[in-house]
Amino acid sequence: MDTKISRRDFLKLAGSFAVAPALPAWMPRMAFAPQGVEPPGDILVVVFQRGGMDGISAVIPHGDGDYYHHRRRLAIPEPEDGSDQTGIDLDGFFGLHPSLRPLKDLWDEKTLAIVHAVGSPDPTHSHFDAMDYMERGTPGEKAIPTGWIGRHLQTASWQNDSPFRAIGMGGVMQAALRGPIPITTLKSIADFHLQGGTTQLEELRARLSSLYDLGSPLDHHAVETFNAVDLLAKIDVNNYTPSANAAYPETEFGMAMKQVAQIAKAEIGLEVACVDIGGWDTHNQQGQLDGELPTLLQELSSGLASLYHDLGDRAKRVTIVTMSEFGRRVYENGSSGTDHGHGNCMFVLGGGVNGGKVHGQWPGLAPDQLFGPGDLPITTDYRDVLGEVVEKRLKNPGISEIFPNYTDWKSLGIVQG
Amino acid sequence: MTISRRDFLKASGLVAAWTALAACSPVQESTPNPTQTLAPLPDPTQPSIPSPTPVPDSERLILHTLRRMTFGPTPEMFDKARRFGLDAFIEDQLSPESIPDPGIGSLLQPFSTLNMTVAERLQLERKSQSEKELIEATILRQWHSRRQVFEMMVEFWGNHFCIYIGKNLCQVMKTDDDQNVIRPHALGKFRDLLHGSAKSPAMLIFLDQAESLGESPNENYARELLELHTVGVESGYSHHDVAELARVLTGWTVSGARNRKMEPGIYFFNPDIHDNGEKHVMDLMISPGGEEEGLTILDMLARHHSTAQFVSKKLARRFVSDQPDPALVDALAQVFIQSDGDTRQILRALLNSESFKTSAGQKFKKPLDFFISALRVTNTTTDGNSRKLLEHLRQLGQLPFSWQLPDGYPDTADYWATTSGLLDRWNFGFLLVSNVIRGAEVNLNTLTKDAASAEDVVDVLSLRFLGERLPDGARSILVDLASSNNLDVILPSVAGLILGSPHFQVR
Repeated sequence: MDTKISRRDFLKLAGSFAVAPALPAWMPRMAFAPQGVEPPGDILVVVFQRGGMDGISAVIPHGDGDYYHHRRRLAIPEPEDGSDQTGIDLDGFFGLHPSLRPLKDLWDEKTLAIVHAVGSPDPTHSHFDAMDYMERGTPGEKAIPTGWIGRHLQTASWQNDSPFRAIGMGGVMQAALRGPIPITTLKSIADFHLQGGTTQLEELRARLSSLYDLGSPLDHHAVETFNAVDLLAKIDVNNYTPSANAAYPETEFGMAMKQVAQIAKAEIGLEVACVDIGGWDTHNQQGQLDGELPTLLQELSSGLASLYHDLGDRAKRVTIVTMSEFGRRVYENGSSGTDHGHGNCMFVLGGGVNGGKVHGQWPGLAPDQLFGPGDLPITTDYRDVLGEVVEKRLKNPGISEIFPNYTDWKSLGIVQG
Repeated sequence: MTISRRDFLKASGLVAAWTALAACSPVQESTPNPTQTLAPLPDPTQPSIPSPTPVPDSERLILHTLRRMTFGPTPEMFDKARRFGLDAFIEDQLSPESIPDPGIGSLLQPFSTLNMTVAERLQLERKSQSEKELIEATILRQWHSRRQVFEMMVEFWGNHFCIYIGKNLCQVMKTDDDQNVIRPHALGKFRDLLHGSAKSPAMLIFLDQAESLGESPNENYARELLELHTVGVESGYSHHDVAELARVLTGWTVSGARNRKMEPGIYFFNPDIHDNGEKHVMDLMISPGGEEEGLTILDMLARHHSTAQFVSKKLARRFVSDQPDPALVDALAQVFIQSDGDTRQILRALLNSESFKTSAGQKFKKPLDFFISALRVTNTTTDGNSRKLLEHLRQLGQLPFSWQLPDGYPDTADYWATTSGLLDRWNFGFLLVSNVIRGAEVNLNTLTKDAASAEDVVDVLSLRFLGERLPDGARSILVDLASSNNLDVILPSVAGLILGSPHFQVR
């Protein structure tokens, strides 16, 4: 055989990666045609809170007396008007942690919805299994190697060959993105270019390009990288000023959110961005009004609100969803922290959201209601939330392929469409 | 030397060329310890005559083994492995105490925190000094030590018993974990590692065990002890087992600043916060027994067949393939059980397996593998200021001890082979050989001093960096470039392209 197989042939050969994973899923990309891209639906931003957020500290059920019974040291005090040392009342029963203050305006203008007692039904208390199941979109099941977002991109009826169709911020490809559609990972727009010898840069690039056209499993990554470099070269990073005085937190998460805004505004075909924020595994001294958890909540809310405000009018066509692998034990532990739990809350934010409402059924925190070792039960499957967003906001009706084997799917009316 | 480099490059492949490269290298491997049984050595005063025959399989196996078991094969190592014979070379590497490592002491000499007690490090005005020095020392050892297999295993176990150095006092305590737990047992028994780790203050603080109290224990360490350190989540323990194990471990804590009986930052068992009731962990009934309860459980876990499977699979993933053959994993687990978790014996079995021998090129280098191998093969020297180099390693994504979750850095290509990852590698390679990274210097002129033509330059550099010539397609791309300009001008581009090539991304 001629040793040089054409790219097209290679793609055909490699297309069945899911069946025969000889090498890891180093997947090929399709022909590249980046312009005039206008997907029918929203841009989706998925924020994954790694470690397991304590959902009943974030959105407190202050109307549930058992909350204060179980959380002697960590409960957030009942809302009091004008106080920044208490919860912020939402609807007479739920309230926001005071560190989530930046979200209150969005709630009031009904662009922020909350879903409570939500999560992945698999009972695992392992971070890694719980994240894995959640990102695959197949709780309790590891047979399908792709992620739920990967399958959304794969089954969408439209074409979009932009390297920025789906991006993994932080330089990692989140497991939810796995699938046949190529993903660009990105840490910093400013650094996303070839560096080195100055005058020889074009020459280097041409040779690199040739070296990655000889049939290695990495070839398609190189093609994507060059395409991404070219597109990002058009973005003026140094003079970027967020709109509406949006003040992103000066953290990795904040910078990632800011860059999502830049890419969205650059109109280079962005459909999905995955952003991680870590540190939620608060087993020890998690803090009530100050400390580890409140600091994280502050960072989260300011990043979410900044992105929303920065996007301005574009936010009408953007949906931001947060999730975390599980919530935390309702009972606090002996070191003023909380162990791994089950149910949690999710935030859904955007122009097309039925906001100003806590969606879902509150199961109550009475001891006989708790799940497993003392966890918040799940009354809403997280796939209901995502499925509705995908169908109504992203305009992809292929829910049965995105969440295979999930037959109980129902719409809660969280978003419009 | 009697023959020019150019001649034998034309004449033969990797064996001769590598041997000769070693012979003209400024750094010579020491003579092996004479007490060991080794293959007969050729007369070192006679330069090896390049063989015109194709590269024999045994030489390929040496190259493959070196790529897998070291942080980057240098010509000196290849030469040594060839002189010893592969088996003897491996045995030599598995007895690191017998390998003189004279350069390391002076490299680490500036790092004063490595020689402090934890109490002294706790007194540091800038505690970050301790973190910084441990990270630098780790990089320097991986880069320069001749005990390469040992350093590989230190990295493996440090990642298995992962501690994020940025969490609280782990900043000053991880140094003790490295010196007292990981390094002493990196080629020893798993049981010793496990017991050491369970009493390592950095681990007890990282996973919140130090503050776990009898009446409502903190489950963090207990869970990860089962899931990540021993039997693995697929072994089928229940949440109840985790909760019971957390009760068993109550009292395993670390002395604080106000402790009057002992120095701060030391493991001790505190019976006052231990839950003294009966417990049941994974079918084992534990009678009240204080610290003994935990020791019993650790012994049980260290010898559990699921631990043998879990650890064997991880070793096979690190050294053989992302999806190791289940038969290999079973075989290694057998050795684990029979040898009571002896890392040396498991490694021997792994290296002797057909799975290993036929897996050349199947592993995508992790960023650390890429970074250290680039420094080693380019013979990079440093003026001792590694700050900029470490910034690059952080950008590449794998600064030691900086993974925040307890599961350690991933070890598979589907995590690391990304667009930004590739770009970062290209850039690091170009910047390194262009000598624009402060504190690091590469002398390409020395590496290519005998190369007279564009072809020579490409061959010498690819032999040096990859251990073999580039395949014709890639080679002609580089020869074409090397011919396009004055060689001195074009050298960094050629070198950077080899480091950036797909060939250098695998091991």
